[in-house]
Amino acid sequence: MNPAAEGTTYPDMPFVVEPERVGGFREVFGLAHGVPPTFLTAAEFTVLPTIVADPRLDVDFTRVVHGSQEYTFARAPREGERLTIKARLESVRVRAGTGFVTITIDLVDEAGDHVATCRSSMVERGDV
Amino acid sequence: MRAFEDVAVGDELPVLHRVATAEDMKAYADVSGDQNPLHQDEAFARSVGFGGIIAHGMFTMGHMAACIIAWSGGDPATVLQLSAQFRAPVFMGERIDAGGRVRKLDAEARTATLETWVSVERDGTTEWPIKRGAATVRLG
Repeated sequence: MNPAAEGTTYPDMPFVVEPERVGGFREVFGLAHGVPPTFLTAAEFTVLPTIVADPRLDVDFTRVVHGSQEYTFARAPREGERLTIKARLESVRVRAGTGFVTITIDLVDEAGDHVATCRSSMVERGDV
Repeated sequence: MRAFEDVAVGDELPVLHRVATAEDMKAYADVSGDQNPLHQDEAFARSVGFGGIIAHGMFTMGHMAACIIAWSGGDPATVLQLSAQFRAPVFMGERIDAGGRVRKLDAEARTATLETWVSVERDGTTEWPIKRGAATVRLG
């Protein structure tokens, strides 16, 4: 992992809150209605391949474990709506062979209003 | 939606139990897009130093969210903020218990701040897949 990649922003990507996928999420967690807050992990996994493939960040995803996760909502996402993903590397650190990256994505609606922020901290384990 | 007047600091959320299974991991991987083999392939999980397949951290956090949503009255839109630190793995067949407590109330915003967690009993000790989770929930 390369600390010089800190601050990198990625091109906007579309993310549709697909009702069928939301329904699958509800089913896994036994929820009756609405969009589960952790559904936004699907948006994070939309942009993740781009980040994993970023040669400047140079992360080995097979060594990555999830350290922490945070969601903040201006409002709940609506089923069927089209959002835009704006992703950036908020912080990239390496300590004693272990890499730490915090990926922040903002989700914005078609009116340009902020819907939610997802902050995901990943740990790239050294040799095992 | 749970009424603000019905909530006091120190209130405990009813504990929500579930057993993590390989079927759950497959279903979760398919809806989330997280196909990391660590959560589905026993040999791979062992090759990277785990004792077996472990649950997605986000599966455990999703269960914690379900506990919070059940307490708040069933509407996911009541959750305004949600966070978790992943402290310990969850292995297949283990029962995870999600719970929480009201730490703070904001009468003006009509919100509750919760401390939340997910625990698992393993070999006679309590492990904490999520120890200091937090949530802000809108009340009626």
